Amino acid sequence: MATLTFHSLTGTLERIPASCSCSNPRMSTSFHCNSKGEKRVSRMTVKAMGAAKYKGTQMREKQLAEMIEKKVTEAKEVCEGDETSDECKVAWDEVEEVSQAKADLRLRLEIEKKDPLEFFCQENPETEECRVYED
Amino acid sequence: MAVCTVYTTQSLNSTCSISTPTKTHLGFHQKQVVFYSTGKRTSKRGSSSSGGPCVITCSAVDSQTVVIGLAADSGCGKSTFMRRLTSVFGGAAEPPRGGNPDSNTLISDMTTVICLDDYHSLDRTGRKEKGVTALDPRANNFDLMYEQVKALKSGVAVDKPIYNHVTGLLDPPELIKPPKILVIEGLHPMFDERVRDLLDFSIYLDISNEVKFAWKIQRDMAERGHSLESIKASIEARKPDFDAFIDPQKQYADAVIEVLPTQLIPGDNEGKVLRVRLIMKEGVKHFSPVYLFDEGSTLSWIPCGRKLTCSYPGIKFHYGPDTYFGNEVSILEMDGQFDRLDELIYVESHLSNISTKFYGEVTQQMLKHADFPGSNNGTGLFQTIVGLKIRDLYEQITTSKTATPLEATKA
Repeated sequence: MATLTFHSLTGTLERIPASCSCSNPRMSTSFHCNSKGEKRVSRMTVKAMGAAKYKGTQMREKQLAEMIEKKVTEAKEVCEGDETSDECKVAWDEVEEVSQAKADLRLRLEIEKKDPLEFFCQENPETEECRVYED
Repeated sequence: MAVCTVYTTQSLNSTCSISTPTKTHLGFHQKQVVFYSTGKRTSKRGSSSSGGPCVITCSAVDSQTVVIGLAADSGCGKSTFMRRLTSVFGGAAEPPRGGNPDSNTLISDMTTVICLDDYHSLDRTGRKEKGVTALDPRANNFDLMYEQVKALKSGVAVDKPIYNHVTGLLDPPELIKPPKILVIEGLHPMFDERVRDLLDFSIYLDISNEVKFAWKIQRDMAERGHSLESIKASIEARKPDFDAFIDPQKQYADAVIEVLPTQLIPGDNEGKVLRVRLIMKEGVKHFSPVYLFDEGSTLSWIPCGRKLTCSYPGIKFHYGPDTYFGNEVSILEMDGQFDRLDELIYVESHLSNISTKFYGEVTQQMLKHADFPGSNNGTGLFQTIVGLKIRDLYEQITTSKTATPLEATKA
């Protein structure tokens, strides 16, 4: 189950698509949203509960989140000089790569409900990474 | 080992000496062709005893591995399309057990899905140094890709490198055994001509810019660090390389799934309702394009009406022949959303050549994965149908007997 917290950033009047699909519950994703994605730039934070079973995976999620933040900052800096430079292209490509990696992990945990460390931890339950994650 | 099976329509009454073929169609790896001769029996295999001379020429089928290529910019092996495809064959695809937890490979009973990022020749640091993105061919080892796909296709296991998307490094290789169906998914499955020639079927997932933007917003807006600007900047920065290296592959694809914003809602830019076009090449071996009502004709169809009530914005289909990059194609298009089960089954019952094994199979598959993105629109529908077409193609390839021209030379 996921809980949704809505924060809105005032000042920008761009219309953005709602960040989750609100279609027929019979064919919908695992959480409902009650926003209409209106005339504000909004940021949603989603806490997925119970999906990351092992500590190693929880750490991985955190690591990826931090990497995204870091690489976005880097990309903005690099591109300040020349937006068409190779360095700028590569910097945003890295952002894409880690964003996708985080999304893949989230997809795996939320939809497949499987922790990637499942098999590894069955064999090696005593390792640090395989400590069962408790909130 | 290659097995050559000889089928004859009439029994062999005369002596046949089976001579080994002077030329083989085995290509690179020369393999021994083993004949099962069953002696005196005038059977389907082999020769029988007495009579005049005859020559049986035989071309051997190396192995039964069918190779499918999927070009997509949406990450690897974990995409919805892959899940739907492997589901059509039954069973769920899982990463290899006991191996690297960061492996990109997925394995099910019938299929193995390989992520082409594993063939990066440059890791993240290397790419940064050289100033190339992952989209650039210079970051990828096409020689290795070709060798390994060829090996797997001919029944030989390989040690495939692993590209770790988290660390950005190349990890130690994992063993991949030749599966019944090998799917290679990634940015460049059709880039290299040699690899292209190994593909039995290829698909290109063509997402329009507006939809890509909307999807990436959905994907990234929840992440700290991202904003509309950063998401937009990332797409823009990658676009030149994408247009130069990835996009041109679509001319080679046997099927293109094009995802566009809907035309049913004027001014819509939310990217929730989609217009999806399934562009199918004509004349592809073992692949008969899906059609609506009358093959080769052009028509528009709105299923909602007296027999079927749909909610806003409804559903609209279009079907017709066309040309695409100089190729003859048939295009089936769906705009709108499924809202209820009966809409889905109604649509399914009007489509032809969908290669289902029973009535309602498409609907059943869609329902099985109702929580996947696209389950209520053309993306899910066409991905499922392509999955069934691939199953059909696989069955045709594996059950097709190699032609054995029986040349009886008159003594």
